[in-house]
Amino acid sequence: MELNNNVLHINSISKTFNGGEDFVVNNLSLTLAKGKIMAIVGESGSGKTTLIRLIAGLETTDGGCIELNNTVVASDLIFVPPEQRNIGMVFQDYALFPHLTVFKNVAYGISKSKTRKQQVEAVLCLVGLNGFDHRYPHQLSGGQQQRVALARALASQPSLLIFDEPFSNLDVNLRIQLRNEIFDIIKKTGVTAIFVTHDTQDAMAIADEIIVLKQGTIIQRGTAKELYNNSVNYYVASLFNQFVMLSNLDLECFGFYSQNNKTSALRLNEFILNEDCEYSLRSKIAKSQFFKGQFLNTLKLQSESYISFYSKEDLTGKVVHIGFNKKNLLVFDS
Amino acid sequence: MKLFRFTYLRRDFNKWSIYTLAIIAFIVIPILTIFFKLFSGPGESWSHMIKYLLLDYSLNSLYLILGCTLLTLVFGVSSAWIVSRYKLPFQRALEWLLILPLAIPSYITAYAYAGFFDYGGSLEFLLRNIGLTSSKFSVTNIYGLIFVLSISLFPYVYVVSRAVFLYQSGRLIEASKSLGASEFQTFFKIVLPMARPAIVGGLVLVLMEVLNDYGAAKYYGVHTFTTGIFRSWFALEEISTAVYLSAILLVLVFAIIGIERFLRGNRSYEISGKSDFKLPKLALSPSWRVLVFIVVSIPILCGFVLPLGQLLYWTVLTFSKVASLSFITIAFQSLGIAFLTSLLTVTFALLVVHFPLWNRIKLLSKSSHLAVLGYAIPGAVIAIGVMIPTLHLDKWLIKVGKQMFDLDLGLLINGTLVVLIYAYIIRFIAVAFNPIEAGQLKIGKSLSESSRLLGKGTLKTFFKIDLPLLKPSLFSAFILVFVDAMKELPLTLILKPYDINTLAVKAYEYASDELVMESALPSLCIIITGVIPILFLNRLILNGTK
Amino acid sequence: MKNSHLIIAFALALGACKSEIKKEGITNDASKSEIQEVNVYTHRHYEVDQMLFAKFEAQTGIKVNVVNAKADELMQKMTLEGKQSPADVLITVDAGRLVRAKDKDLLQAIDSKLLTTIIPSNLRDEENQWFALTKRARVIVYDKDKTNPEQLSTYEDLTAPKWSEKILVRSSGNIYNQSLMASIIAHKGEDAAKTWGENIVKNMARSPQGNDRDQIKAVIAGEGDLAIVNTYYIGKLLNSEDPEEVKVGLRIGVFFPNQDDRGTHINISGAGVAKYAPNKANAIKFIEYLVNEDAQKVFASSNYEYPVNPAVEVSDLLKSWGIFKEDMLPLSKLGENNKKAVLVFDEAGWK
Repeated sequence: MELNNNVLHINSISKTFNGGEDFVVNNLSLTLAKGKIMAIVGESGSGKTTLIRLIAGLETTDGGCIELNNTVVASDLIFVPPEQRNIGMVFQDYALFPHLTVFKNVAYGISKSKTRKQQVEAVLCLVGLNGFDHRYPHQLSGGQQQRVALARALASQPSLLIFDEPFSNLDVNLRIQLRNEIFDIIKKTGVTAIFVTHDTQDAMAIADEIIVLKQGTIIQRGTAKELYNNSVNYYVASLFNQFVMLSNLDLECFGFYSQNNKTSALRLNEFILNEDCEYSLRSKIAKSQFFKGQFLNTLKLQSESYISFYSKEDLTGKVVHIGFNKKNLLVFDS
Repeated sequence: MKLFRFTYLRRDFNKWSIYTLAIIAFIVIPILTIFFKLFSGPGESWSHMIKYLLLDYSLNSLYLILGCTLLTLVFGVSSAWIVSRYKLPFQRALEWLLILPLAIPSYITAYAYAGFFDYGGSLEFLLRNIGLTSSKFSVTNIYGLIFVLSISLFPYVYVVSRAVFLYQSGRLIEASKSLGASEFQTFFKIVLPMARPAIVGGLVLVLMEVLNDYGAAKYYGVHTFTTGIFRSWFALEEISTAVYLSAILLVLVFAIIGIERFLRGNRSYEISGKSDFKLPKLALSPSWRVLVFIVVSIPILCGFVLPLGQLLYWTVLTFSKVASLSFITIAFQSLGIAFLTSLLTVTFALLVVHFPLWNRIKLLSKSSHLAVLGYAIPGAVIAIGVMIPTLHLDKWLIKVGKQMFDLDLGLLINGTLVVLIYAYIIRFIAVAFNPIEAGQLKIGKSLSESSRLLGKGTLKTFFKIDLPLLKPSLFSAFILVFVDAMKELPLTLILKPYDINTLAVKAYEYASDELVMESALPSLCIIITGVIPILFLNRLILNGTK
Repeated sequence: MKNSHLIIAFALALGACKSEIKKEGITNDASKSEIQEVNVYTHRHYEVDQMLFAKFEAQTGIKVNVVNAKADELMQKMTLEGKQSPADVLITVDAGRLVRAKDKDLLQAIDSKLLTTIIPSNLRDEENQWFALTKRARVIVYDKDKTNPEQLSTYEDLTAPKWSEKILVRSSGNIYNQSLMASIIAHKGEDAAKTWGENIVKNMARSPQGNDRDQIKAVIAGEGDLAIVNTYYIGKLLNSEDPEEVKVGLRIGVFFPNQDDRGTHINISGAGVAKYAPNKANAIKFIEYLVNEDAQKVFASSNYEYPVNPAVEVSDLLKSWGIFKEDMLPLSKLGENNKKAVLVFDEAGWK
């Protein structure tokens, strides 16, 4: 096989349950180059957790082939157990060993040598936890535990580092802070990483490349910008922004007549609140609620559907012009 | 799709698959033996058995099942409801006192009751002292047996019912009350139907014990399948007849389990999300308080205080005669065997939990639940199931010894502790399996998976991560098996080495040699070894919840 | 290799138990030649026996190693041990089991003039494979305040209508009842025995339950008038630690049935020398010792049993019940008919 720069190469793997009737991962292929950060996003049940468990060797494949650093680790005939795959993983619940100190947790994956102590100190320093050696996991805050988990995974110098929903147990502020820190650490060490998350904010903030999973297959892959601007369908689009679905009937209320049978959608922030747009209507705002520093307005169209959009001020009871430009309208196969 | 799966067999088959198969075979072979023996034909007395005895065995076993079902439900559910719903004096004490009848093996409760109601027994003595004469009241019959078994086994129902009442029904009771239902309606329309699956689960345990009983039924002269197995084994010396009876008994056991599964169906009344909401306790008017207090005291008095009192009285009478060096030897042998059994059973349970996890063949990974089978199978049946294959092994060893080394070997395995402990392991592995599996579930998969990903193999992960974290579960499992091993009678009677004795067997021997008073001391020793761990476990559970 | 440590550990643990047992066997072998000893497998577990064994040790210098268990277990054990069995003497508490041991080829014939002269021929095996040590009679007991013994005559008479719902007797699972039934089969044939059983069942005051002591107490309690029990238990009651039991014993009258025909059914406790006895000579000495006058006196006086040595007088208690005519049926018949007896009981509906 031709040597290349890929840390991970997956060739049409599947995972079934119920005796092969249902697919959790269905004929999925992907490649990840060294030093890159990839995010896997999707709703719960989309197969993203199963996918990383297959990569890590925590599940066996039902068809297909996984290569790590150009070596086959899983196929119809080969199964390399997780301890020989050199993959680091940070679990959703951190999975710190409760009966071991921070030091021992981090040292766990390092083989015994004279430099072990220094190695542990170095990696604890990297995550900003020097001095915490003798604490036990239950004596640490959630963010600190997260960092220990990262330190432990980094300490064994994995060729691939996997994060399973790493920020889901943290509050919003800590989440953004930690996200940035971890991003810095990963870049510093140059490790190849996969993030699994249901939160596209995380994905967009960290990843070089994002993969959208649904029902065990990749629907779209690309950079954050590509996915945001050119979502292939409503599912992908809805992961990255808030939408209003508009039927042909709804569009007619704005004076837009569509000939096709496709579904249209508009991002909430792309409604235009004046007459300077291609298609518009005049209506009274039924309700205007304060939401995250702006107002979320709801109004009822003649087609009986409701639409929502944001405004800077309270528009309750006011009659406004509202419309959109055709280029902003997203059209998907229904 | 079947073929599809078969192609992975070569990839997924690892040494743990072999070990899984081996340990499952180890546990299941004795049970399968009974079924296979069925095809080798019945003994010569089988037709006699069908003609004269089978109906009797069946009816008695049936009456026992029905009677004990009714009584254990009455005792268990009523006491559980009262202690979890009402404010009572000595609340805490009542809660654990209601478990204590379980510390007295049912055959010992049976001896105590027989003595208490005997002519010239304690009841008469007590009544005479307060100036009453009693009409003779015999307990040594099937009704007495039903009562004695129920009063000593009802805690199984009590424990599960209380757990459901306390932790699951709180919100529903409040909802029901707020809709205007009375306390009575709430109990019968909401609480009871919701607790039914759990209660039936507890009841199945009771019935397994009822069918397993030998000592009490023998003493009360009630012929059941289990006494029938002993009779064919010892009096008729027909193993094949014993095997046939065992098989029928197994069918009965599986029928009960089947009915339980059927009743449970797909319904799960468990309220989604484990709530920490505990049922608030109601205060009662003074007269109701007294009445309710009496109601919960009855099972404690009948199940624990009365038999214990009778045994203490007998012990005082016979202590000097029974307490001897040889008695102390037996006590130590008993403790030693129970210790060894617990150690090995817990170890095997650990393996039964973990081997299937480490193996990658899906079909085998669920097989560990086969291990639980042992507890449902009466001790006498396990004894026969263990004896037959080990005898074959022994005969084979003798042949090999003769041919290969020209040695005259006797039986190397049969009649030794090895066979007895093997049988104990099969019978009690479920007892150890449940707390260990629960402990493993609580720890979760991610810790051991982390360890694997950090480069440690299966065994290293097991010893460094799982084992230290499982310590409390292992300890509970050890204690539970220990208590059961101390109490065990029917299996021990058949398999114990001739030169070793246990307290349970000694008590049985005294009682069957018409020295029932002398059986009090060994019985008391068994009870003490049973009570201490129960209190200890109760502590452990209380501390755990705090 | 490393991963199979656990399995090896278990194998070792199990192996350790095994080798311990083997070692035991070896030490037995080794000590055989040095110290004089006799290994006794006995179902009897009375203090008297311990005392007698101690005396025997003192007198002869032969060490007595006792293995105490139920006869069935001991026999099973001897079968399993085969040629390696350390057993020298087997003692049981009924003739049926001794016959069974003989049938299973666990005993051997011994040549002892002393035993054959002291022990009457009906109380020992035809081929001298086993010998009785003590006797017990299965008698009818009654409440002295209530029942006139003149109404009593034979076991067969208990089936008469006058005793309807008056008879108390334990279950057919009991070996003493099985032996009684076996003797009736031997004397009267299977059909008559079955009829007898059926009629006794009809006359029972209650369904069989409890042991011999319970039957005696039930007589005093008024549950029935008559009970079929072993003499030995009346002695036990009279000497019980429980004062209530002593009271019961005092009120009980003993009647020896069938004095005008075949005599009262007796059973024995007896001994035989094991087929592969490593200390055969000591074993014979041991049995001979147990039937000599001194030992028999001890049996008679402290265990309420009848001595087999005619030279020894019965105890005062036993004397007070009177001298009786014994059923002279060779006791080997009890063993031969044991299984038949069990089946006849079932057919007669005797629970």
